[in-house]
Amino acid sequence: MNRAETLQHLAWLCRNGRAVTAPVVEASGWTELDAVLPGGGWQAGTVVELMPAATGIGELRLLLPALARITGAGRHVTLIAPPYIPFAPALSQHGVRLERLLVIQAQHADDILWAAEQSLRCRSFGAVLAWPATIRDREVRRLQLAAEAGGSTGFLYRSVDAAHEASPAALRLKLRRADSNGLQIDVLKCRGGRSGQSVKVAAPCSGCA
Amino acid sequence: MLWLCIALPQLPLEALRSEETDRPLVVTACEGSARWIVCCNSAAEHVRLRQDMNYTVALALCPDVQKLERSPAAETAALERLAAWAYQFSSTVIIGEVPLDFRQARSSALWLEIGGSLKLFGGFRNFIAALERELELLHYSYQLGIGPTLEGAALLARAGIRVVIPSPAALQLRIRNLPIAQLALAPEIAGALHTSGVRTIGLLLELPRAAVIKRFGVALGNFLDRMIGAAADPRPVFRLPHRYAARFDFEFEVKSTEALLFPLRRMLHEFAGFLRARDTGVQHFTITFAHRGAPGTALDIGLSLAERDANRFLALVRERLERFELPAPTIGLRLDADQFAMPAALQADLARGALQQSEDLAHTIDRIAARLGAQQVHGLRQVADHRPEASWAAAPLQDSRDNPQFPERPLWLLQEPKPLQLSVMPQIVAGPERIEGGWWDTGDLQRDYYIVHLSTGADLWVYRDLGERGGWYLHGFWS
Repeated sequence: MNRAETLQHLAWLCRNGRAVTAPVVEASGWTELDAVLPGGGWQAGTVVELMPAATGIGELRLLLPALARITGAGRHVTLIAPPYIPFAPALSQHGVRLERLLVIQAQHADDILWAAEQSLRCRSFGAVLAWPATIRDREVRRLQLAAEAGGSTGFLYRSVDAAHEASPAALRLKLRRADSNGLQIDVLKCRGGRSGQSVKVAAPCSGCA
Repeated sequence: MLWLCIALPQLPLEALRSEETDRPLVVTACEGSARWIVCCNSAAEHVRLRQDMNYTVALALCPDVQKLERSPAAETAALERLAAWAYQFSSTVIIGEVPLDFRQARSSALWLEIGGSLKLFGGFRNFIAALERELELLHYSYQLGIGPTLEGAALLARAGIRVVIPSPAALQLRIRNLPIAQLALAPEIAGALHTSGVRTIGLLLELPRAAVIKRFGVALGNFLDRMIGAAADPRPVFRLPHRYAARFDFEFEVKSTEALLFPLRRMLHEFAGFLRARDTGVQHFTITFAHRGAPGTALDIGLSLAERDANRFLALVRERLERFELPAPTIGLRLDADQFAMPAALQADLARGALQQSEDLAHTIDRIAARLGAQQVHGLRQVADHRPEASWAAAPLQDSRDNPQFPERPLWLLQEPKPLQLSVMPQIVAGPERIEGGWWDTGDLQRDYYIVHLSTGADLWVYRDLGERGGWYLHGFWS
């Protein structure tokens, strides 16, 4: 038995002989990012934290290729407590099917988390984007469990200060504007992959071509 | 004809109150200046209170007994709700009259013709099991009797005989040894029979009918004939109403939401029974909470898909009630529904998986809307209008959309444009795009939109107002 086979056999033993289905992965649509994400994209059943340095650097555009594909494939997407009006013409221009996009307005922190948990548990949602006012470890873990149960991906937008705190989220990305037009993504944590990497995606602001 | 009788001996109490309490509770009625007990709960029976006991005596036995006033109207309302519920099991449902004399108050009953339904439900056992499973959810004390005549079935129910008696001959044989008291006759007739030594039903039936009529009146003779099937017993058949309106009046004020859930649960189960009876579902219904001396509070419950599941209804009502302060104690409930639709779950057996998903989605959205408010959960659509603030709208999720074309637009739009104080002119990346319009309504505007790039890395959508106000405004983010 060579080394690779031994490892596979060990992994098989660890799973108690059960076959594990490969996790469902939705390609992010950015080749550079997919290269560093485990499985090559956003993993279903996980919570992803996104920490943009400022509003307007392309933090939402990062997800749009995936959202367009999810809504195109008949699953739903929900935006919970978005900070501004999600602008329908722009979403449509990016290929998001508006009839599968749900917006949930909530003011209280616990309502936002509750709505996020309910949506994550629902199998009809492919992605749940939430802008929680505040969120603690324990609540991220709850959302993580809900995402596992529902098989959707939760995207939490947090302030950049949260980058210093620990979090049970599977993937944590810090976003800032790259020097030349584009988005610099620092991978702070990556379950099943390497953290500490930094990639640049070319996400030019669409209006300034 | 085979009749199933549902006898409701505790109806005077249960029509007023749907949950059990540990405290002795009696329903009373007045006759002249005396007050009599009509019905007691199990706690009251435990302290030796009995029906037909004088209320003064009851107070002496148990000073802290709680008293409710008997309400024949509430009993009739309860029977009507129950009849609508029972319609799912049989298309011939007959409501027994609520006796005005309080001494007969415990003999209220409801009949279902089941001869035609047995086959549909897969035999007698399955039918009774299905009926009892549903009936138990309503929390009524009930007895069942199955006989060839209405009064015969009622007698069997009161006597606790649950064997099917299919023919009048078998009925006569079976009831021969039952005491007269089981007949629930008017008290003066029962007393007269007792003094003349007629103690069992068999003895009464053996007496020459002419003599019975002469001594005890025509009413008793007719009653006996109807019971044993010697005379026809025509009664109005209950008709299912086209719109549903059920009410439940309390004899006391209910302050806590928790206590409202008991009557609500029963009402919603009855409602679900009605929906099954009509073979339909509902997407929207209203629950009204009545208050003393104040207008009622209406709670509109909407569902994304037509449903008839009582537990789902209850979960939604409960979610709403938890986030909702009733302005005053509740003295009654009303449930109204007049628009019915076939439940999605029954519409198609094909594409089962897809349907479950859409149901699952509808349930989640309903739950969230119930807690946060319906207007807080919405979809989006584009509007063919060049003004940015008018080019989008909140919309229901399943809506057919037209897709007007716009130039590139930012993903975030501000609710209100925010005035900018510009000390240095930021770097303009694109623009201007002139947007004019709105002279046809109040929102007349003239703007030049630019995309500007800040040193923080953010791209903003700003405009210069060309109208009277002037100045620079932030209107969106290229997120």
